[in-house]
Amino acid sequence: MTTTLIETPRTSVAVAASMRGGTKTYGHGDAEVRALDGIDVDVATGEFTAIMGPSGSGKSTLLHTLAGLDRLTAGQSWIGDQELSRLSEDKITQVRRDKIGFVFQAFNLIPSLSARENITLPLDISGRRVEQAWFDEVIGILGLGDRLTHLPAELSGGQQQRVAVARALVARPELIFADEPSGNLDSRSGGELLAFMRRAVTDFGQTIAMVTHDPTAASFADRVLFLADGRIVDEMRDPTAELVLDRMKQMGH
Amino acid sequence: MFRLAVKSVKHNPKRLVLTAVAVALGVALAAATFTLTNALSGGFSKLFDEIYAGTDVIVEEAPDELGDSEDPFAATDAIFAHGDVDDVAAVDGVASAWGGRQVSGTVLAADFEPSNDVMAAGGAPSQIFNWAGDPRVDQATLIEGEGPASDDEIVLDVDAAPRLGYALGDTVSISTDIGVEEFTLVGLVRFGESNSLQGATLAYMTDARSAAINGDDGYDQISVIVEDGADASAVAEAIDEILPEGTRAITGEDKAAEQTAQFDEILQYIDIFAIAFALIALFVGAYIIVNTFRIIVTQRTREFGLLRAIGVSGRQLRTMILLEALVVAVVSATIGIVVGYLGALGLSVVVEALSGEIFGTVTLPIDAVVWGYVLGALVTIVAAIMPAIHASTISPMEALRESATESKKPLRLRNIVGGALTLLGVVAIVVGLYMGIEKPYIPVGAGAMILIIGVTLLAAQVLVPLAYALKAMLTRIFRVDGKLAANNIHREPRRSANTAAALMIGVMLLALVATFTESMKSLVTEQFQGNNADFFVFSAQGAIPEGALEVIEGEDGVAYVTSTGLGTVLLDGEATAVGVIDPDTAELAFDYNNEPDFDQMDGGAFIDPSMVDAGFEVGDELMLEGAEGTATLTVTGRYLNEGDAQVWVDEETGHALLGDYPIVQSMVVLDDGVDPEAAQDQLLDALAVDYPLLVLQSPGEFEQLANQFIDLLLGVISAMLGAALIIALLGVANTLLLSVTERTREIGLLRAVGVRRRSIRRMIRIESMVMAVFGTVLGMILGVGLGAALVRALEDFGFTTITVPWAWLALYTIAAAIAGVVAAWWPAHRAAKMDILEAIAFDG
Ligand SMILES: Nc1ncnc2c1ncn2[C@@H]1O[C@H](COP(=O)(O)OP(=O)(O)OP(=O)(O)O)[C@@H](O)[C@H]1O
Ligand SMILES: [Mg+2]
Repeated sequence: MTTTLIETPRTSVAVAASMRGGTKTYGHGDAEVRALDGIDVDVATGEFTAIMGPSGSGKSTLLHTLAGLDRLTAGQSWIGDQELSRLSEDKITQVRRDKIGFVFQAFNLIPSLSARENITLPLDISGRRVEQAWFDEVIGILGLGDRLTHLPAELSGGQQQRVAVARALVARPELIFADEPSGNLDSRSGGELLAFMRRAVTDFGQTIAMVTHDPTAASFADRVLFLADGRIVDEMRDPTAELVLDRMKQMGH
Repeated sequence: MFRLAVKSVKHNPKRLVLTAVAVALGVALAAATFTLTNALSGGFSKLFDEIYAGTDVIVEEAPDELGDSEDPFAATDAIFAHGDVDDVAAVDGVASAWGGRQVSGTVLAADFEPSNDVMAAGGAPSQIFNWAGDPRVDQATLIEGEGPASDDEIVLDVDAAPRLGYALGDTVSISTDIGVEEFTLVGLVRFGESNSLQGATLAYMTDARSAAINGDDGYDQISVIVEDGADASAVAEAIDEILPEGTRAITGEDKAAEQTAQFDEILQYIDIFAIAFALIALFVGAYIIVNTFRIIVTQRTREFGLLRAIGVSGRQLRTMILLEALVVAVVSATIGIVVGYLGALGLSVVVEALSGEIFGTVTLPIDAVVWGYVLGALVTIVAAIMPAIHASTISPMEALRESATESKKPLRLRNIVGGALTLLGVVAIVVGLYMGIEKPYIPVGAGAMILIIGVTLLAAQVLVPLAYALKAMLTRIFRVDGKLAANNIHREPRRSANTAAALMIGVMLLALVATFTESMKSLVTEQFQGNNADFFVFSAQGAIPEGALEVIEGEDGVAYVTSTGLGTVLLDGEATAVGVIDPDTAELAFDYNNEPDFDQMDGGAFIDPSMVDAGFEVGDELMLEGAEGTATLTVTGRYLNEGDAQVWVDEETGHALLGDYPIVQSMVVLDDGVDPEAAQDQLLDALAVDYPLLVLQSPGEFEQLANQFIDLLLGVISAMLGAALIIALLGVANTLLLSVTERTREIGLLRAVGVRRRSIRRMIRIESMVMAVFGTVLGMILGVGLGAALVRALEDFGFTTITVPWAWLALYTIAAAIAGVVAAWWPAHRAAKMDILEAIAFDG
């Protein structure tokens, strides 16, 4: 391991996911790209964390490696107290299945399944029962009650993203990762979606880590991490859209 | 998982339609055969039941090692004297015993004209017996007129009389071994309950007349009716005690069961034959399935990535795809079974309309269902395994990539495996063909299969440079359409190779058969080069009557007639085919492939290559045991063609061993200077009086006939391969259709920048044609190669020249190009009619 480890010790306060010395490189020699360059980060339980930064700064890569979708080149990352680099592919799959929910920017849903089936898919896969009360509550909040039998192709972009959020919430994962979930939506539907996510954190104690470009989206979070060239260059607590925008301008965005 | 699999199939059934059709076609072929053979079996089992229904016990020749009672319809030898019938009648429990005798002959139609056409001369077979007057013995009931009371009277079955054009009181002609005999029709009978004779003609004459025609007043069978209350099997056992050696008594019931079982055994071979073709069709179908699932997996990469991201394991993904395959298999096998059954039903109706009732009730046998599902499921699942494994290795990151394309893995592994398999296949074929092992068809068949897979794998590598080589040409001819088509083939070499390979297999088999049959024609031509005979005599009924030969020999201008007889003898306890010739004349008429010539036989025997393989050589002594006697012969020469007869002897030995043996072919040599055409008319006229069913062929006619027969063989096999070829074409269409869907965005883009619909259509057509022609050419190279190897391996059977069927090959290539255009029709249409905006927005 090349990075200097344990500069910041892993805290004992409840941490949902963390990374130490996280490095990810693509390609070799001259073509080498350092997408992540020694990242130390903790995602606290029950918090809404936003990740921001210029395009190509490594936001998506950070999210993917934290979530166990992709492996680090060097360094370590944990979900809860399980260190992912030590786990086999099958075990990581199991961690994703049992502990993590996802919302992507696009293509979130299986085209052949109805909205309801998409929402309960993670539970069906792991053979868990759907908690009907919780299901109804989530559906109610997201306003999807009359769309449950529709196929994804029959839903609007905003509805599709809400179904994706519902899917992430219904399984009650320890942690939800979202990569520009509102990126494809107009400002109103995007705002609604983010408000729902905020509520999930505030009302139900859900932990969420979200990548976004949009300062307004970031203002829904408890804490914003700023990334540049694969490093965390700053962070901000209780952000407002204006403060975030200023910070971004400083970074030359 | 299962629900997800079903949903996925239901969600987009279109992409699986052609796959299902492919599987269904193969399954239908198998199901139809099973249904038909089952119905045939039912029909004949009913026939046998009726033949033996009334008779309690049958006394007959015991089936022996010579195996001449295998054929259920063969006339047997007269082995019972009148005294034997009396002895049987005297046994306790026997109410009556009746000596039965079959007459070999054919009932001629009222408007019969002699024709010198082998195919037409046969007609429906006739079954002619002596009349007992007891329905339990005759198995036939008089329903009109009288039974035959005097020797010039005859009765026919109710269906035959109108079919042949006879009414009561008419004169009926029967062609027999002693000439054409005439009778007066005095009655009509019904066979069994419903006169279901499977198309045969049934006739009865008096006992005396039948003995006169056969030239022997013995009987070939004794039918026994037991007394009321007596147990048939007990009586049969009692009769067995007093019977002469080599005969047996069997109850009617057992006999019917035995005959049905024997017949079913024959039908089993038909089943195996048809299953082989169904397997070929399904093997080709497997290529389509592989391609379809490959493409589907590629198209759904993002979906699978997403599933992986939310926690579906690779194993679960694999299971899901295999489940999808299973769903497809079950649906299409069901369709195939139903279609096969309906096809068989339709065919049986047509056949029965043409040739009378030969099928029993056409029902769907359990065999058809079991085989249908097993074959369908097996092929589909096996074919889906590789794509399924591929899907299971998709990483969750794939869900996040922009576009879904097949990973560009290098082809090296594929080439190595392909090369190794190709080599292994060739080795297995060579070993099978030339090493003289016990069951050569096993290594040859397996080798051919491995070779095909190997070549398929290698084809991906061949296609890339080939498509590139073609690119310049296609670009010059078709401009940008040609360039895009070449690029498309090039882009997915595996997929293109698999598609072309499916066609390759069908064409390979066709080319193989064509090479084989054309070489067979060369063989025929060569054999006639050493021919001196002016005519070949055949009988549509089997053996040529002695009397007919006397008629020919008696005509002016005939120098001599030389005949070939066939029989079976025992050599060291093994049944051995023996051919009988006249050494002095045979070689004059025909230059046999032997060493030395037959005229050096010197009272000994010639042996064929199979005997040499078994360890016999010139100078050895052979102890032959025939029905009439034994003979110890010295091997004086070798007959060099395998497959005609194993041992050749002269006529004197033949008679000593076999008594009267059947003559299967005679050759007529004319005096010098006699005009053959005039002589042919003269001889046919002479034969028309007493032997109107004999056929006299000149060497030219005979050769033509042999070639016709070979063409028929080629035709039948080609038709059976038709299913495989149709499936292969569906494969081309399928691949194009799926890749059109896959390229939706790209095609939309092309249209957006101004490519016309016509150009899009043409691009797809060119792609299809190139793949089709490519597969065909590969198939022809393989097929001709394998055909040549086969011909070489059959050298012992007289093959000397390998003839490449150029005409056929040219035809196949043109047909392939046309088929390519046809197969591209629907995909091209689909691609061209796409809405530009929708295509660009397509999320695939
Ligand atoms: N599969 C890959 N192969 C090679 N390089 C990659 C790959 N994925 C990402 N990169 C590179 O890694 C760097 C970080 O990419 P990443 O996708 O994390 O950026 P991002 O911050 O999410 O950008 P954006 O805001 O545009 O989505 C980029 O320079 C990118 O080019
Ligand atoms: Mg990104």
